[in-house]
Amino acid sequence: MIPPSDDMKALQLLLLLTASLSPGLLVAAEPVDFERDVLPVLKARCVACHGPDTQEGRVRIDTLSTNLVDDRADAETWHEVLHALQKGEMPPEGETPLTEAERRTVVTWVSNAIEKAVEAGRRTNGRVVLRRLNRVEYQNTMSDLLGIDMNFVRDLPPDSPSEDGFTNDGNALRMSSLQLEAYLETARRALDRVIVSGPAPKQFDYEFTESNVGNWLGKVERSNRLQRMQRFLATMKKEYPERGDFLIRARVSAELVPDAPYPLLEVSLGYRPDTKILFDEIDVVEFTTPEERTLEFRGRLEDFPLPVRGQGKFPGLVVRLRNAEDDGSPRPKAEKREKGDKRKGTFYPPEPDRSTLVVHSVEFHAPVFDAWPPAAHRRILFDSPLRESDEKAYVTEVLRRFASRAYRRPATDEEITKLVDFYTEVRPTFPAFEDAIRETLAYVLIRPEFLYLVEPSGDEKRPADDWELASRLSYFLWSTMPDERLRRLAADGTLHEPKTLAAEVDRLLADPRSQRLVDQFTSQWLGLEVVDRVAVNPEFHPDFDNRLKTDMQSETQRFFGELLEHDLSALRLLDSDFTMLNERLAKHYGVEGVRGETFRRVSLPADRRRGGVLGHASMLLANSTGGDSHPVRRAVWIRDRLLGDPPAPPPPNVPTLDEADPKFLKLSVREQLEIHRNTPACASCHDGIDPWGIALEHFDAVGLWRDEVRRREGRKTTTSPVDASDVLPDGTEIDGADALREHLLTERRDDFARTLVERMLTYALGRRLELTDLTTVDRLSDEFVANDCRLRDLVRTIVASEPFRTK
Amino acid sequence: MAQKSWHLDRRKFLLGTGASLGLPFLECMARGETPATDRPRRFCSMYFGFGVGLPKKESEQAEWSWFPEGEGRDYTHNKSLEPLEPHREKLSILGGLSHPNGRKMGGHDTGDTFLTGALLTSKFLRNTVSADQVVAQHVGGRTRFPSLVLSTDGGVGEPTRSSTLSYDAKGRPIPALNEPRRVFDRFFGVGDDDVIAKRRRLASASSMLDRVLEDSRDLKRRLGSVDREKFDEYLASVREIEQRVERSQHWLEVPAPELRDEDRELLHLDADDEAPKRFIETMYDLVYLALRTDSTRVATYQVTNMADASSKAGKFPQLEGFKGSLHSLAHGWNKPEGAEKLGRWDRFMAERLAGFLARLDAAEEPHGSLLDSTVVVYGSSNSQTHNNTNYPLVLAGGSQLGLKHGEYRRFGADVPMSNLLLTAMNAVGVGTDRFADSTGPLTEVLG
Repeated sequence: MIPPSDDMKALQLLLLLTASLSPGLLVAAEPVDFERDVLPVLKARCVACHGPDTQEGRVRIDTLSTNLVDDRADAETWHEVLHALQKGEMPPEGETPLTEAERRTVVTWVSNAIEKAVEAGRRTNGRVVLRRLNRVEYQNTMSDLLGIDMNFVRDLPPDSPSEDGFTNDGNALRMSSLQLEAYLETARRALDRVIVSGPAPKQFDYEFTESNVGNWLGKVERSNRLQRMQRFLATMKKEYPERGDFLIRARVSAELVPDAPYPLLEVSLGYRPDTKILFDEIDVVEFTTPEERTLEFRGRLEDFPLPVRGQGKFPGLVVRLRNAEDDGSPRPKAEKREKGDKRKGTFYPPEPDRSTLVVHSVEFHAPVFDAWPPAAHRRILFDSPLRESDEKAYVTEVLRRFASRAYRRPATDEEITKLVDFYTEVRPTFPAFEDAIRETLAYVLIRPEFLYLVEPSGDEKRPADDWELASRLSYFLWSTMPDERLRRLAADGTLHEPKTLAAEVDRLLADPRSQRLVDQFTSQWLGLEVVDRVAVNPEFHPDFDNRLKTDMQSETQRFFGELLEHDLSALRLLDSDFTMLNERLAKHYGVEGVRGETFRRVSLPADRRRGGVLGHASMLLANSTGGDSHPVRRAVWIRDRLLGDPPAPPPPNVPTLDEADPKFLKLSVREQLEIHRNTPACASCHDGIDPWGIALEHFDAVGLWRDEVRRREGRKTTTSPVDASDVLPDGTEIDGADALREHLLTERRDDFARTLVERMLTYALGRRLELTDLTTVDRLSDEFVANDCRLRDLVRTIVASEPFRTK
Repeated sequence: MAQKSWHLDRRKFLLGTGASLGLPFLECMARGETPATDRPRRFCSMYFGFGVGLPKKESEQAEWSWFPEGEGRDYTHNKSLEPLEPHREKLSILGGLSHPNGRKMGGHDTGDTFLTGALLTSKFLRNTVSADQVVAQHVGGRTRFPSLVLSTDGGVGEPTRSSTLSYDAKGRPIPALNEPRRVFDRFFGVGDDDVIAKRRRLASASSMLDRVLEDSRDLKRRLGSVDREKFDEYLASVREIEQRVERSQHWLEVPAPELRDEDRELLHLDADDEAPKRFIETMYDLVYLALRTDSTRVATYQVTNMADASSKAGKFPQLEGFKGSLHSLAHGWNKPEGAEKLGRWDRFMAERLAGFLARLDAAEEPHGSLLDSTVVVYGSSNSQTHNNTNYPLVLAGGSQLGLKHGEYRRFGADVPMSNLLLTAMNAVGVGTDRFADSTGPLTEVLG
């Protein structure tokens, strides 16, 4: 026996070492070289579809940078390449697979390169971007900061969403001169209301026990008893204010008819005939019990279409009460009054099967205020002897307090000095002290320190300080500026302590304002606003009530809220034994026993058709044509929103099927898609897409269960049985939504959990995730799954995670 | 003095606005010295997504082809463009044009570049200046507003699915307005009539902006490199407003235009995207009024776009009783009766355009009609859906500006769409010989 040579020993040792260093990446003793080893494989096997001529899935490989450390965008693409190879998705089915050696060569090189890039970027990449407040955040922040309710976003353009659909992404949110101009004007408009000057204005008080207008409002019946055709109209001809807060107090009772929908009291204020915008609604209140209630409605006069003085033929300022409950059925026709009936105007016969609202009195008071000057004014221009003795010292203190709240951190002395400079400059040009203060506060409100979440930093990462943490936490969970307590903890410098931070997460989540997280996150993650963009086809759904669209969105938001509030498993999003319904949506679904507008938890029948978001009408309608289901859209939605694996967008030159063939049109959607998938060019993608949507074919466009598909052929309607069976890309045969749910819960649970983690982390950080976030996502996902996917814990761990606490 | 605001005198206002925007002067530009001979020249452009119906000639539905039969002066409209017949002598139908860069882009990605001709790919999403904004740079100083930018969705949207047609000199999208009521208040509403108060606020705004720019160097130094890029966008916006404030003093004493009763009668300011016909007509009317009152000389209006499911316009056809969403109508052109279904929508759109042209043409000016001094570019960046060539285009108006009409013209692929934009820009007085990738003016439409 020949003893092994030293050389051999050395080689064995090297192999062992390599193996122990990176067990997952063990390949060859010799490092893989891109030019020599990888490039030839790519050229031979990938470039035909991902090269100069075609870029399937918009991916081009031959021009990708091999310097992943510096080219972050290309590093992301390489990561996708790695993913596709590891999952065996590339080359696509039908093409010869890579040999094991080829695959290993490429995978090894890409893994190593990515690892290096992640390591190199660990200290600089994956950082929260300077982020402008979006519309929702701006609205809430202005309201909290100034202490008044008003529509602050009326003149702001819509925010741009990120690729993932989030509207709080720092990179996607733009700034423009139009936008900045609107900020300035909004600030001035708001401060005109907050900071008052002069003595208290005269208050106007009215009480009406019946309508007091003539014939001018067209063919409506004026009455205290309100069904669909009646109105209560109270007018103030000349003596009414045009500025300030108003209070309308209405005493109203109801006569309820059993099983009829509850009446809805709608209160509006107007009336401005010259632009045809007569009234704006103040609020709608549902009556679920007959007792008399005294209701208060508040608003700001300037926000409503006010009459134009001096146009005598018009009636003045009008308060309108009506019963907005209307199911769209034919309305009664006007009848003539009997002889001798002196009451004026048209008359409609009562509808005995409908409930009636009875108006007893309506009061109107304006301008109303808690005190003079009002509390919001005094919060900024607080009482102080300084005010008389030393105006400059007083202004300095006013600005210090205001700017420190607006900037969400203590304003520095230098900043205050500069603000006072501005005040001093403009003060002589304005007649009153208050005018100059308003201008100076408006100046604070267009500064970047207010409009953006500013976190100064150098090139390297650093821990976020307590003030930054307070803002991040508050905007994540409440979509607004930090409250008093968060600011105190930040000032004490204790917020970052893990126990304190965790306790604050719990406190914020327990507060009703956390509903904003629920609404914003759910809506953006699941694309709920698309529901509003679909027109339901009345040919197939003649009775569809458009109010259902809002109800559908609410169902999904409330459902997520319920899971968060009761710390239930997020897996219930995939399957659940309950959902959240109000009367209208319950009726739509055919669920009995739910009354009124309020959403509540409703147990589902054993068949669980509605269990989880796959049975929510919001998702089903948003991904339909409005007339029929749209299996491809539903499938893309599942793969993107639930599984984090969106299919590539369609290539630029999609070959069209010969849809002109009448035979093709006679086929069911399922069969049409099958033909689709028999075309190789389509199959490569659609084999992986269509089955996910086919499984939901039992749900029609508006999310109702069906066993037959109705279709139109010319003037005829034909029906064919639903076929919801298909084969998923991994070979699983599924038939219907239940099987799909089962599959997702058993086979794809981790993918779903990871996707939810990624999306919530994205929302929390206000930026897209990067390669450097991989380890965080891995860890959070593992913990999330180990913890039965409880949402509260996820929020807690996100807040405690490194990216959330690092600038 | 301060008490005054509580008792705002509204009597003299023909149009009190419940709450006025009150700061049109920031947007406005100086009143330039206009020689009497220099008559106002206007440019406007309307866009729709997903292209039009183009059934084959031998098809049973050939009558629903958007492009006319025949060429030159002897063309006959098919059904889709029939509503334009009354304006035949004041417009040209143009076929075959497209942006060469657009041909390299995804089928639904070209809406952003209709007026810019830029190349947007998944890696490079930066646009370039749009033709209307070049015109605005040129003539914007002569009117209260440099331009009016409208769309159905409003704002800027996302790259390749943008909701605006207009891009500034740096290629940054200009947010579009989409609420008729807001547009009206901004352009025709009567704000605070106290000129002195306005002047004070203007001066104070100017000081604010100066100071923000002054401080910004400090702040910028303290930001990381990625944040700096974002911050520059803010600073650019500040600078832009500052320049306007500088020159806007002149407009203070110029009263906002008064509208005639019949103008106000027509407007449906409460129109929203649930009533598309009324909404589109109201938007067109606002463009018309803005031009007629010389409040601006540049307007763009993206009627529909290609954002499909995420656009408010996606459902427009269905709401007006057509058989499918925009996208499905566009995709269905090849189905039996599909061309007719799409063609009927094309016709609906042409009717709205015809109404707009009729209003422009009915407004008399010292030299011809308002239409005769306005260049209108109407069209899409798809011929049929997904197809980025052979844009369906109508060039209307401008007879007093040197444009010659009455023909249906077809061009080869070698003629870039930018040539049309260049020609339009030249007609309204922008003396440039290049725009984007243009190769020269479109002499065929010049008189």
